[in-house]
Amino acid sequence: MQPQTTVILDNGASTIKAGLIRRTEGDDDDDQPKLIPNAIVRSKGDKTTYFGHQLQRCRDYSALHYRLPFEKGYLVDWDAQKAIWDGVFSSEVLNVDTAESSLLITEPYFNLPNIQDVYDQFVFEEYEFHSYHRCTPASMIPYGRLFQAGGPSPPECLVVIDSGFSFTHVVPIINNQIQWYAVKRLDVGGKLLTNQLKELVSYRQWNMMDETYIMNHAKETCCYVSTRFLEDIQTCRSNPKQNSIVQEYILPNFSTNRHGHVRVPGEELPATDQVLHMENERFTIPELLFRPDDIGLEQSGLATTVAASISLLPDDLRGMFWANIGLIGGSTNFPGFYERLSSELLSLTPVEYDLQIYRSEDAVTEAYRAALAFVKDPTFSTHVVTREEYLESGSNASRRKFPGWQSSGLTGDPEISKVVHESTIEERGQPSKKPSRSRMRANTTSGRRR
Amino acid sequence: PTRKALRKVNATKQTLAPDVIAKRTKRHLDELERSNYTEPSITLDDDDEAPISGKNRVRQIVSDKRDPNAKKKKSSTKVRTALLYRKNLATLIEESRITALPSHIPTYLTAAAPPPQVPSRLLCSVCGYKGAYKCKKCAMAYCDMSCESVHAETRCERRVI
Repeated sequence: MQPQTTVILDNGASTIKAGLIRRTEGDDDDDQPKLIPNAIVRSKGDKTTYFGHQLQRCRDYSALHYRLPFEKGYLVDWDAQKAIWDGVFSSEVLNVDTAESSLLITEPYFNLPNIQDVYDQFVFEEYEFHSYHRCTPASMIPYGRLFQAGGPSPPECLVVIDSGFSFTHVVPIINNQIQWYAVKRLDVGGKLLTNQLKELVSYRQWNMMDETYIMNHAKETCCYVSTRFLEDIQTCRSNPKQNSIVQEYILPNFSTNRHGHVRVPGEELPATDQVLHMENERFTIPELLFRPDDIGLEQSGLATTVAASISLLPDDLRGMFWANIGLIGGSTNFPGFYERLSSELLSLTPVEYDLQIYRSEDAVTEAYRAALAFVKDPTFSTHVVTREEYLESGSNASRRKFPGWQSSGLTGDPEISKVVHESTIEERGQPSKKPSRSRMRANTTSGRRR
Repeated sequence: PTRKALRKVNATKQTLAPDVIAKRTKRHLDELERSNYTEPSITLDDDDEAPISGKNRVRQIVSDKRDPNAKKKKSSTKVRTALLYRKNLATLIEESRITALPSHIPTYLTAAAPPPQVPSRLLCSVCGYKGAYKCKKCAMAYCDMSCESVHAETRCERRVI
């Protein structure tokens, strides 16, 4: 019997995007997931420990101690994760009986097989879900609406750039299959950026090394990506306190203002308030996504990595990839990110191809909303592993059902290239050389992109 | 006169070996991956968690503490093992034996972005402006003389106290 409820967990290292679909309710399902911090946070000021969603009750944001289930992007601390998940499934958040539900959960790219086995154990042995589907966030994107602006149906060849808390991945996808041999990872994510900001501020102004929460908020409020790095750095230099770039971030003080904010020009500053001067920190921090070598990390920036990834793909498909690049993940939210990436990629795109980058209204929840569409589709039940299958064959059941990177074949499968190439030839009106294969999508209108 | 010249040349050659610089950069990058800041100390324990440490080897499960009133269901053996024994990522990578896979299968280790194609630019370690010079003693960058003196007083790694 199919369960009526499906739980969707976009299980990120920074936040969990969680929600439910109940089959009986039809279309009035909530599009917006609940955002739950994926951490156990101890507040010394409040003398309490907050598990996940309870963090919103926190009064004193200073010197918060974080225990994160994720380490460098992979789920390693199951004790902490279970505690947070218990809260998410409880009546305080989703209020769901897991034994009567199905689950869709996201995992990191290149998740280790030993870790994947533990996902199975928790889902089936601890929470006793009826069935589940485990996948990466990027694999959900073709089912969502990120590429909607380019045509009615999602492109067959696309690249997803997922920049989150732990790292940034460039993920090329053909016909809903991730091309693992071409996936590239940049080890710069929100966590590294916040920690680098903490270091700079602690060296130059106030010691903020313990203030993860506050500095993260400062980063999200003040930082932006510059399209003219050298000019901006010159502006900051020429007039240290009074230039167009400097912003003053007023730190929260726990009697009057609970949240930090940027000082509006002309705002009165009570003498007791502490202020952070954000000058070149504003743009040198997110610059690390484009120039990780600024701090000595020996990796190319995001644009070069995208070009490297696409160059591993079949020659004749590259044009489609360059024309269908999508952005997801919280670290793509910096103002100026899109403009900077566009300008850098434009100089790397081969001259015969077009460059087109798609972004979502909400990069953090885009994968969740795409997963929502995936779950609502009637074929969802063919993609899950059931608890019976697990009890019978153990983790082999999920290894078969969720192939992933382990079963990716030889590089540059020539068959894929032929299939996709044919469909593009057909729609351009040329006679096709081979009869169409059953797995190609039917031709759509001529308004479809190439 | 030749002897004097030789001595002068030797005096300026006190730069740091590149592997020392690489080690320092690596340590810095590892610090940037931490969840919480802890004062640098000389311990073998490289992560910064559990209030239980050192002598007391009894591990406590924090998920049971979340809701003391909840009815306790007995977890399966595998789940309990996963809850009690937390392994760090390096151990898990070793145990997964992804290094033993045939070379045509891409893994976490092979997926890292390629090395930088353009030479790095130097940024002043004190103020963030374009760096022009490197400290003679510890090879960190600075932009002008005021930043040089700040660096020498505060952060230089080879400073003589």
